[in-house]
Amino acid sequence: MTRPDAPEEGGAGEAARELRDGLAKIGAEFRASLAEASDEPSLRERNARWVGPGGALTRLMKLMPKVPSGERRDLGKQINALKTEVNEAFEHALVALERAAREAELAATPLDVTLPGRDVRAGRLHPITRVRYELLDIFGALGFDVADGPEIDLHENCFDKLGFPADHPATDMQDTFYITREELGASATTLLRTHTSTIQIREMLRREPPLAIVAPGAVYRRDDDATHSPMFFQIEGFLVDEDVSFSELKGVLTLFARRLFDAEVSLRFRPSYFPFVEPGGEVDVSCVFCRAWERDAARTAACGVCKGTGWIEILGCGMIHPTVFRNVGYDAERYTGFAFGMGLDRIAMLKYGVPNIRLLYENDVRFLSGF
Amino acid sequence: MRASYNWLRELSGVDAPADEIADKLTGAGLEVEGVERLGEGLEGVVVAEVRGVRPHPHRDRLRLVRVFDGAGEHEVVCGAPNVPDAGGRVLLARLGATLPGGLEIAERDLGGVVSRGMLCSEVELGIGADAAGIVVLGPHDAGAPGDAATDALRLRDVVFEIGLTPNRPDCLGHVGLARELALLYGRTLVLPAAQAPAALVEEGDALLAAGPARFALPLAAPPAGRVGPRVEAVRPAARGPAVEVEIRDAERCPRYGAALVLGVTSGPSPLWVRYRLHCLGIRAISNLVDATNLVLMERGHPIHGFDLDKVRGRKIVVRAAADGERMATLDDVERTLTADDLLICDGEGPVAVAGVMGGADSEMGEGTRDVLIECAYFDPRSVRRTSRRLGLHTEASHRFERGVDPSAVRAVLARAATLLAELGGGAVVPDGLDVVARSIEAPSVVLCHARMARLLGVEVPPAFTRRVLEGIGCEVLDDAAAAIEVRVPSHRPDLAMEADLIEEVARIYGYDRVPTAVPRVRPSKDGTPVSIRFDRRLREAAAAGAGLTEAITYAFVAPGALEAARVSTQAVPLHNPLSEERSVMRTSLLPGLLEAAAVTRRREPVSVQLFELGTVFAPGDGALPIERPMFAWLLAGPRPGWIGTDGALDFYDGKGRLEGTLRALGAFTPELRLDPAIEQLAPFLHPRRAARIALGGRDLGVLGEVHPDVCGALGLDARAVYGELDVAGLEAATRALGVAQARALPRYPAAVRDIAMVVREGHAVGEIMDALRDAGGALVERIELFDRYQGEHVPDGHVSLAFHVVYRDPQATLTDKRVDAAHAKLGATAEARFEARLRA
Repeated sequence: MTRPDAPEEGGAGEAARELRDGLAKIGAEFRASLAEASDEPSLRERNARWVGPGGALTRLMKLMPKVPSGERRDLGKQINALKTEVNEAFEHALVALERAAREAELAATPLDVTLPGRDVRAGRLHPITRVRYELLDIFGALGFDVADGPEIDLHENCFDKLGFPADHPATDMQDTFYITREELGASATTLLRTHTSTIQIREMLRREPPLAIVAPGAVYRRDDDATHSPMFFQIEGFLVDEDVSFSELKGVLTLFARRLFDAEVSLRFRPSYFPFVEPGGEVDVSCVFCRAWERDAARTAACGVCKGTGWIEILGCGMIHPTVFRNVGYDAERYTGFAFGMGLDRIAMLKYGVPNIRLLYENDVRFLSGF
Repeated sequence: MRASYNWLRELSGVDAPADEIADKLTGAGLEVEGVERLGEGLEGVVVAEVRGVRPHPHRDRLRLVRVFDGAGEHEVVCGAPNVPDAGGRVLLARLGATLPGGLEIAERDLGGVVSRGMLCSEVELGIGADAAGIVVLGPHDAGAPGDAATDALRLRDVVFEIGLTPNRPDCLGHVGLARELALLYGRTLVLPAAQAPAALVEEGDALLAAGPARFALPLAAPPAGRVGPRVEAVRPAARGPAVEVEIRDAERCPRYGAALVLGVTSGPSPLWVRYRLHCLGIRAISNLVDATNLVLMERGHPIHGFDLDKVRGRKIVVRAAADGERMATLDDVERTLTADDLLICDGEGPVAVAGVMGGADSEMGEGTRDVLIECAYFDPRSVRRTSRRLGLHTEASHRFERGVDPSAVRAVLARAATLLAELGGGAVVPDGLDVVARSIEAPSVVLCHARMARLLGVEVPPAFTRRVLEGIGCEVLDDAAAAIEVRVPSHRPDLAMEADLIEEVARIYGYDRVPTAVPRVRPSKDGTPVSIRFDRRLREAAAAGAGLTEAITYAFVAPGALEAARVSTQAVPLHNPLSEERSVMRTSLLPGLLEAAAVTRRREPVSVQLFELGTVFAPGDGALPIERPMFAWLLAGPRPGWIGTDGALDFYDGKGRLEGTLRALGAFTPELRLDPAIEQLAPFLHPRRAARIALGGRDLGVLGEVHPDVCGALGLDARAVYGELDVAGLEAATRALGVAQARALPRYPAAVRDIAMVVREGHAVGEIMDALRDAGGALVERIELFDRYQGEHVPDGHVSLAFHVVYRDPQATLTDKRVDAAHAKLGATAEARFEARLRA
């Protein structure tokens, strides 16, 4: 029974020998080889020579089935130990390489941190727009809705219904661009609205009290000089309800000014005249440039913006005239209300220190990008 | 309105510092916009008496004047032509004085003679406009040698520049302002009647037509101890037919009064008159004209003086002009009138445009002996129409169109006649004419105390209310517990209803004394329409999502700019533009944005990336033109890159801005397509570099490079890219998208394969990508172009394209086999449909 087995015995012995030789050879070579690798790809390439699909160690392992069963256990142990050793050595070499690379990087020439950053610049909103939304937010928080209306409107909405007497110098307060003018003062004449108060009329004709509305928009007057632009922006606000008082007008505007300027500014109410409000007034706010409310007399005296007065005019306001209520069909006995209007341009100029109104409409990119 | 502090104090009896008065007036709604102090720098100027005059030894034009300044005699060198003889009084700037103009007076050698002081002119002293000669005091002027000029001649005043609102014609004269001031200081203005003149004309009433219009001028008796007026007979030359006034247009001229002053002599006014007018910004002309101007500034009521000799037929007729009728006004301009204008005529023809300006023919001059004074009330609206039609805005029209006091006619005539006689040396005819064609009734108004308290938010004591109403001139008709009824004064045409009276009480009470209340705002049921808030979303999307900066350009443009920009010229024109440059409403945002870019780049060739959200206008069929909000963006100049530039901004930058904006609005992709009709649709764009923009299948705008001819015509040196979208359409499309819904992240990994190919130029990449996507079927999640190359190794007329293709099966991990199969279809499709040559 032994004879026929002999060649088999001989083949098994061959495999075991080859395996043993291989184990010894690999054990010596792989450490030297891994140590020579200077970067990760070459390390991986070298590693693959032993453990890869065609690697030496893999080849040896394929001999295992041919190894005589008596030696299999011992050789198996040895080969597994070697495999573990190779893997560990590889991992160590990898970590060492990474560490070396990181240390090299940490020691490298520093970045030129003064090179410009890569641009991810958002565009800017026009200062008038910024003020517009800021005001809408403030009045929105106080409970006011927003409305708008056409820029070209009827004389009737811009003047007649607001109580401007026909052929009265009050209309000179707002020198008007007309679109059509077949007949002076005809209510059907069309014009570029001179104020956002047209929206007051339009909304009151459309809706019933209670109403609390702000309405921003472009307005137009025939003025063009250092302090006037023929197109500019206003915001109109009005509130109509039962028993609305001048006290409340003062309250709303005081809250508004303090939020807008984020300071404990004072307001000064002075009587003035607008045909659609009565009592009517203008409002000055304590100068935000010299911080007049802090009562530093010398600073205020030197202030070029308020010219030493400590006050800056910011808006017109008043109690809605009973004539206006009658013109829109509201019961003037039942309802009262207040209205106010201000130039967004003026607020923007105050808030952002814009020295000349022309800058706002010239659209020089260098100016617009500054906000 | 310029107002004199001195005069206000005299009239009101209020003696308070000027700054305090200014604050009080401002607080009452009469805004003092400026305070000007006059008379500073006159400290060293005194009255001096001329003692002798002799020629200068060496200079023909100069004279040596010996003057006595109260302390001693000095010799000064003077070049003025009007040095008076010995005994005349002049104003001497003593050595050491510094005149208002900054001139320091020191000993000066003038042609070999040392001058010890200087005799001054009005201009040198800053007290008038006369520079022709030195100031020579007349008999009316006070001042003894040595008296300080400022004290003796009252050359010190404070002028308030008051910004009057158009509802307050009563304050266009010092009397009205004094009434306010008295009220603010708790006093009541008492205006005395005109003082009796030095001379009255005996039987002068015969010079006035008899009838109900004739009245005795209200003149006060002379103060005790002063002799009454001298009585003079009418000079034979002044006799003639009785003066007659006839009103033929009661609507436009309800009232017309006249008075006569005879035997005046025209000449310069005394210094105090000249100085007062100077302070008020009015040029002194002659005593006769100055008298009328002084009355105007005192009473706020314009009066006109006619030379009686030139009033033909001694008849005044107030009538409407005939269409096309002509007359020469004082300013020597021939005016053509219409039937809507009112004329003052004499027996033969027009002598004045009523309420606006007198005529050249009848004006008072050097030879005037007898004066007819007009004081009338004209319909404000009529005066305003005429004034505007003629482009003549005068001190008179300014007041008449705001409404003068119709009941003041007699008092003003009396005041004017006496002042004219005082300054001109004539005698007053004691009667006048006062024709009332239509009476103007001041209304009576009831003020309810409770209603006022509700409106103001504060209870004003009824006694205070009454005092205010009386103080402004109301007559109390009934004063009950709940309400007070008054007749408003005729000098306040702005008061007609309760609200008007409430405002009067509130402004005197003080707006600042009204307490501040926290408002309660009840929500309205309508709320704010969502579409109104869209402008903000869009602006913020453009700025934050696309890096565009906002421009605001003028809505009116030059018609030529629309033409040059090749946008619609069907524009809404302005009837009265400021200039041709801004004479029509824009039909597109393009011209404005191009101009903005050009303006910036002319100054500095920077990168321009602007957007605007603004209205464009088109003529419409309805009552109003059509307004359409548009969103537009414009790029020009270098593309900002990292270190150095990456070339000029181009079409794809424009497209990127569009995509960025839309992404920020809610993540949707625009469809851009070439349209052969683009040349007609958007002739302002480059015909080969432009596209229509559609969203959700709806055309909403265009995008392209601006036509090079357009850039050139509008002065832009660079290539520009422009896009525009209809805002309403964009808002609707955004709304249709609804709110973006959350999506679960994929659970299985994607497999990314690349495909590279060379195709002939001319195939749209978008079409290739669509075809690849279709070919790959459901496994293709997305395709991204990552390289596009022309040049070496790519045949002429061809382009190399490379795409990342992202495959994913949402339900399973992809096997290589499935991906390979799908990817192969992509390659086959590219080859079959686009004759692509695939590259490894």
